[in-house]
Amino acid sequence: MSTLLPVVVLILRILMVLTLYAFLILMMVTIWRDLKFHSHLLGQKKIPQILLYEDGAPETAKYIFTQNEIIIGREETCDVFIADPVISARHARLVYRNAHWWIEDLLSTNGTYLNDERVESPVILINDDELRIGKNILLIEIQALN
Amino acid sequence: MIFSNSAVRSPHEIIQRRLMLLAALFLLSASIALTFAPAVRIHTSDVDLRWQHWIGFAVWLVGFGIVFRQADKRISDRDPYILPIISLMTGWGLLTLFRLEPSYGFRQTLWLAICFIGMLIGLRMHTLLPLLRRYKYIWLTLALVLALLTFFLGTSPSGSGPALWLRLGSIYLQPSEILKIVLIIYLAAYLADSVPARFKLMQLLTPTLLVAGAALMILVVQRDLGTASLFIALYTVIIFLASGKRRFLLISFLIIIAALIVGYFVFDVIQVRVEGWLNPWLDPNGRSYQIVQSIIAIANGGVFGRGIGLGSPGVVPVAQSDFIFPSIIEESGLLGAIGIVLLYAVLTLRGFIISLRASNQFQRFLAAGITTYLVSQALLIMGGTTRLLPLTGVTLPFFSYGGSSLVTAFFAALLLLIISHNATDETSQVVQSKAYFLAGTVFISSLLAVGLVCAWWGFIRADSLLARNDNPRRFISDQYVQRGKILDRNNTIITETQGESGSLQRVLLFPSLSSVVGYSNANYGQGGLEASLDSTLRGIQGNDPAKIFISRLLSAQYPVGADIRLSLDVRLQLIADDLLKEQTGSLVMLNAESGEVMVMSTSPTFDANKLEENWESWKSDSTSPLLNRATQGQYPAGNATAGLLLARLLAEQTLPSVAPEQEWSTDIQNLLYCAQNPGTDPTWAGLIVSGCNRSFNLLNYYLGTNMVSELYQETGLTTPSDRTITETITNDSEISVISRAEDIGTLFVSPLQMASAYAALSNGGYSVSPLLATAFSYGGDQWSLFPSDDAPAALPDMNTAQSASLLASTTLPGWSLASTGFTESARVNWFIAGTPTDWKGTPVVLVVTLENASSNLAVKIGTEMFNAAVNTID
Repeated sequence: MSTLLPVVVLILRILMVLTLYAFLILMMVTIWRDLKFHSHLLGQKKIPQILLYEDGAPETAKYIFTQNEIIIGREETCDVFIADPVISARHARLVYRNAHWWIEDLLSTNGTYLNDERVESPVILINDDELRIGKNILLIEIQALN
Repeated sequence: MIFSNSAVRSPHEIIQRRLMLLAALFLLSASIALTFAPAVRIHTSDVDLRWQHWIGFAVWLVGFGIVFRQADKRISDRDPYILPIISLMTGWGLLTLFRLEPSYGFRQTLWLAICFIGMLIGLRMHTLLPLLRRYKYIWLTLALVLALLTFFLGTSPSGSGPALWLRLGSIYLQPSEILKIVLIIYLAAYLADSVPARFKLMQLLTPTLLVAGAALMILVVQRDLGTASLFIALYTVIIFLASGKRRFLLISFLIIIAALIVGYFVFDVIQVRVEGWLNPWLDPNGRSYQIVQSIIAIANGGVFGRGIGLGSPGVVPVAQSDFIFPSIIEESGLLGAIGIVLLYAVLTLRGFIISLRASNQFQRFLAAGITTYLVSQALLIMGGTTRLLPLTGVTLPFFSYGGSSLVTAFFAALLLLIISHNATDETSQVVQSKAYFLAGTVFISSLLAVGLVCAWWGFIRADSLLARNDNPRRFISDQYVQRGKILDRNNTIITETQGESGSLQRVLLFPSLSSVVGYSNANYGQGGLEASLDSTLRGIQGNDPAKIFISRLLSAQYPVGADIRLSLDVRLQLIADDLLKEQTGSLVMLNAESGEVMVMSTSPTFDANKLEENWESWKSDSTSPLLNRATQGQYPAGNATAGLLLARLLAEQTLPSVAPEQEWSTDIQNLLYCAQNPGTDPTWAGLIVSGCNRSFNLLNYYLGTNMVSELYQETGLTTPSDRTITETITNDSEISVISRAEDIGTLFVSPLQMASAYAALSNGGYSVSPLLATAFSYGGDQWSLFPSDDAPAALPDMNTAQSASLLASTTLPGWSLASTGFTESARVNWFIAGTPTDWKGTPVVLVVTLENASSNLAVKIGTEMFNAAVNTID
């Protein structure tokens, strides 16, 4: 009995490690699968193309996007990069959600204006909207989905 | 099954049920292992097993079973990971508390039951979140008042330390825990109300800053610095997640650094903690005792851990609350540490995902705040106990002992669950996703850093940490496992371990040998041979590595130790001890050929069996009983080396035939002083035997200073002896008995050194190195010799045979000489004798030193001992 007992306890200790790691691995595997599933869903979603024209600029100065989030700002990493000191580093963003493109002010210093109204909370965009950020005016054109 | 529910199951429910089952299985294995742990420890099944923790396990099982079912009903769409994670953490903590001290376990079980009831009530309250949001100022005021009350009514359950608790009957409440969660609720509600409109940082921050500052003040004044630092972290991260402004992090970081620097000079506590963090090894028994013990516990865990109930986490201070992390690691090892770290990492990840998917800003900030609270508190204390961060006294959420802490953590988890139930995938709010990503990355990489630090202590640095003298585990192991015996040359037992496993005791059967054999004592450490031969006596050195590994793995103990045979002869030793009784001095006798120490006696001495009663008085005793005078005594050699000088001069044939002096004096200041009466008309030999100063000075003169120091070097008088023998009893008494005036030209030697140098006169001119431990045995009669590195080497240019015959004694069968060495404050009388070169039996050499006694007495003791020895041994 006294020689067998340490071995029994050792087996129990190994069982503890196994159950603990089974617990952890099960969590990680399912979280990983969940993330993959979600990104798959996101990838399948079709997003209508959005075009931004800089007002008054030649036809070449336009942006076309197919991603679901566009950041506008003074920072060079922004999707729409406008070098203007009046504009905040991350000024506003366009986001595709619930089958619409939304404009959302990112708490910018000088504000974002949609058709001359200040954007306080996210607003849905439609074709031919006029977005004013600092002195820059961006015209919106949203392509219809096929 | 207890965690199953209706027939309809979503994938989330299946995951959750499996996780709960695994958690239950984990705790079940731990509970069974803990039940049998006492029997494994003590190596017999005839022992009281542990049963108390089964009550805790039962409450855990039933409680989480009910909560799980209710949650399925009320918040079916909740995050599937939160509940299993906290169930595993709580259960693990609860079992650890039962393992540490069942009374902690029972109290915690009670608190856990309260938490379950609270959770069930909370699950029924549909308006919990709006209620919290609407009355945020009321909650805040209440919490602040409670915290303020500790100024006046604060007590501490332990009786000492900061008074951070309020007492209600037999229940202690820690208001700072409540303040923590209320502050998160307040911040979340306030920011949610303010953020969507305009975000002017200063305008927004002013009221929250005031509130956070007030809370902080209370904590700083109350010296609850752990919670205070947590508040700063919480406040910073919540504002950062809400605003997404990195400069806020920078400002906050600078404030923390500034506060730390100011605090370092203002608060003693911070100073202690920072110093203990930067350099814990400076004061391991005082200021950094906790952290050093904590690290040693982690080191003891190794990779696989010592097994639940088999380690000694109880030796780490406050193991039940602040230091529960190292306590768990000691018994579950690096694997357990990584497990805990990953549990918190997944909790962080899920918490932030819940926050990102929350249905409104309040819930978003609340979830983020709760996650930050749980993970940063865990990081603070895990980092603190592993020396990754300075130590701050906070609890490890869900694990640590403490009602307020457990209730708060459960309340936080409940809120997180409710928020996750309300979550949506499609949110129309501003989300600072980059800030979340940054905060999540920082938290998770810090958690991984904790794991790495545990690997560093538990794997890479483990051996050197466990060998430290302030690691009590070696002595705890000694109570359960036989330490090797120490025997004399005739296999008479000198020291052995007696008693039953669990209460084994080291007993020295010949107390007069205390200074030589030393002691191995939990309170006073080790000294003498017990220290220098510890790894053999403990069964590590010379043992089969597989045996050590299995013993450490199965019972977390060292294997049974090896017996050690010494060269001492107990019969002679007792004679010597008796002769030296009442004197101050030492007696050493060597086998002149092999260097084996046959007698090593020192007086006055102590009794290794009675350290507890007398340690302090021995330590402060001016006669230094803890000193082994034979090896540690540094005595002025005086003209005791004359016999060696004589041998050199004889070999060089430069000794004048005419003896130098005709008169002598007993006045030690006189140049003509002799230790003994040389008689009328003495010869060279007669003058040396009597220890006459002038003849010694002449020998010195004939040889020249360079030759003399060369001789001392060759005979080993200027090189220290082997450490195995000279291992000190205590560092404090390393001071020599004779005050050592910096007398240039005076040689200071230990009696042992003198004996091994003079062995040359009895062995025909070979140098020997003294040897005390000769062989060891792991059971049975299989004795293995200790490896000895130096073979006896012939000394050049020494006519030892002629020197020995010139010094032939009339009172004993061999040669002898007496001498007196002195400094300004004391004197020591030497008597040195040995068997002649052509001796048929075992050649021996003997050295007697007596402090401040007459030369005649030294001669008498030496002669008696020598005659007894040559008559006893063949």
